[in-house]
Amino acid sequence: MRIFRNTVAYFLVCLFCSAIISLPCIGAETGEYIAIRKEGASKIAIVLNKPEAQGKKEIDWAQNLDTVVSNGLSFTGLFSIIPPPLNVKDTSDPKNTKINFGALSSVGSEIYAGGTVTKKAGDVVLEMEVYETASAKQILRKTYSGHEDQLRAMGHAFCADLVELLTGKKSFFGSKIVFVSNSTGSKEIYQCDFDGEGIRQLTALKSISLTPAYSPDGKYLAYTSFSSGPPALFIKNLATGIIARVAKEGISIDPGWRNNDEVATTLSFEGDQEIYLIKPDGSIAQRVTRNRGIDVSPTFSPDGSKMAFVSSRNGLPQIFIQDLQSGQVKRLTFSGRYNTQPSWSPNGDKIAYSTWESNGEINIFVINPDGTGLVQLTRKCRENEYPSWSPDGSMIVFGSNREGKKKLFVMNANGENQRHLLQLDGEQMQPSWSLFR
Amino acid sequence: MRKQINGVLVIAMMMIAGCSSNESVAPSGGTATNEPTPPPPSTSIKTGYGFDQWQQGPLGDVFFDFDSADLSSDAEQQLKDNADWLKGNSPKSVMIEGHCDERGTSEYNLALGDRRAKSAKEFLTRLGIGASRLETISYGEERPFALDHNEEAWAKNRRDHFVVK
Repeated sequence: MRIFRNTVAYFLVCLFCSAIISLPCIGAETGEYIAIRKEGASKIAIVLNKPEAQGKKEIDWAQNLDTVVSNGLSFTGLFSIIPPPLNVKDTSDPKNTKINFGALSSVGSEIYAGGTVTKKAGDVVLEMEVYETASAKQILRKTYSGHEDQLRAMGHAFCADLVELLTGKKSFFGSKIVFVSNSTGSKEIYQCDFDGEGIRQLTALKSISLTPAYSPDGKYLAYTSFSSGPPALFIKNLATGIIARVAKEGISIDPGWRNNDEVATTLSFEGDQEIYLIKPDGSIAQRVTRNRGIDVSPTFSPDGSKMAFVSSRNGLPQIFIQDLQSGQVKRLTFSGRYNTQPSWSPNGDKIAYSTWESNGEINIFVINPDGTGLVQLTRKCRENEYPSWSPDGSMIVFGSNREGKKKLFVMNANGENQRHLLQLDGEQMQPSWSLFR
Repeated sequence: MRKQINGVLVIAMMMIAGCSSNESVAPSGGTATNEPTPPPPSTSIKTGYGFDQWQQGPLGDVFFDFDSADLSSDAEQQLKDNADWLKGNSPKSVMIEGHCDERGTSEYNLALGDRRAKSAKEFLTRLGIGASRLETISYGEERPFALDHNEEAWAKNRRDHFVVK
């Protein structure tokens, strides 16, 4: 805790030494500001003032950016967004308009964010300022510029800086979610942004494609596909478009990345369904499990030293954790007869998984890697499956048929605020949130 | 009086509805094309364990208990019959498809389907069928036969399906 405070103090010093950071491109270093807030405090009350602009194009851009930022901050679940009071700007001296902090305080604002939008060499320039209302202190000032088709990225770059400044943690802005959809009549791989926008179909194999997963650096996309016969592992290099195919006798399925150089997958060419580590070129690096029964669905601790996975070695499927160095295995789940689909949180402190319960429901739970702290996140809404963590660990994306068809949902890491991720024809399943952002 | 008028209206509406529905059928150019095509007559339709509307070839399917890839005595008997046919029809090869019901989770079911297909392959090789004639593929829960959501359908979907190549 003391180290944490010292870090905060250090960042505050850095921040005030370089109060004005002006950068020509999107994304950059930020200072860090931690509002003094109690654990579990309510949402951060923010007034978001639409950036000022002159000229038709500039006004359009400002309107778009305001919407992007407002939606982005809402999606985090961290903020309550208060409409700006009419007298937010003190215009008594037209040459020197000031922010009216008194008016902001009276509407309950803790944080104020506003700025300007201008055009420079055809590009959009967004200059943002953030203040702590009570002290009238500027806590962030930063310029974002880009082409006019990059407004979403620019707005989200500001959201990322603001969230990082206020929480001290990296946000999920810029991350992607890959998933399976049968909208075209066959199961194909799709991608969307963290907020369900920007949906793109990534495969058109007209076969069955399943379980997509990005490498942590986003250079590779691994997935299972039936397009060449029995289910095979495809590892696509996204820069070159070259696909390394692992198609051993039997199955080659359900990849989980250990790091940028190794992806674990289940192969059965030696008889049993065992987990192996594969290099992105498709060659086998190492066999990991050696036990009679199914071993499937690998997921790794952030340092890659431990692997959680599903095994039927004791009968019905349960989740186990294997230490890769020592080979030691311990059973993680004892509650529920059928536990599958583990997902290790990026912070390392939790494992989410699904339980098929005796009442026919499938529900999502989280548990600590030492087996303590079991918490149920979904209940009384049919089948809820395939949890996957946002890169900051604040949210979980999952599949649910609570309304009939299988659709994608997101929720806070504590199970609150369960809502649709996106609207797309057909059914969607097996979402996987990227670690990159 | 009002009731009577309503009655006339209802009859009139029924007639209109009847006309319009007839019209909607007419543009398809006669009814002949809408007739379901009868299945081609098969010379060797078998019945009993292993044979249903989804398996009309010479080899019978085998069925599994929930979350199991173990062969029941019925399954073993069917595999013995299948092995006899394969011995008499060398060098024909066969694809063994492992299938699961929709319950549980789909990644685990892909592995379970693989286990089911491999169980049959192993048994057939023990009966003397060359492994090179036996290919396996797991469809997990991706290609169900029966589409209902009840135990009857699930039992039909937990199977190895044999396709002579």
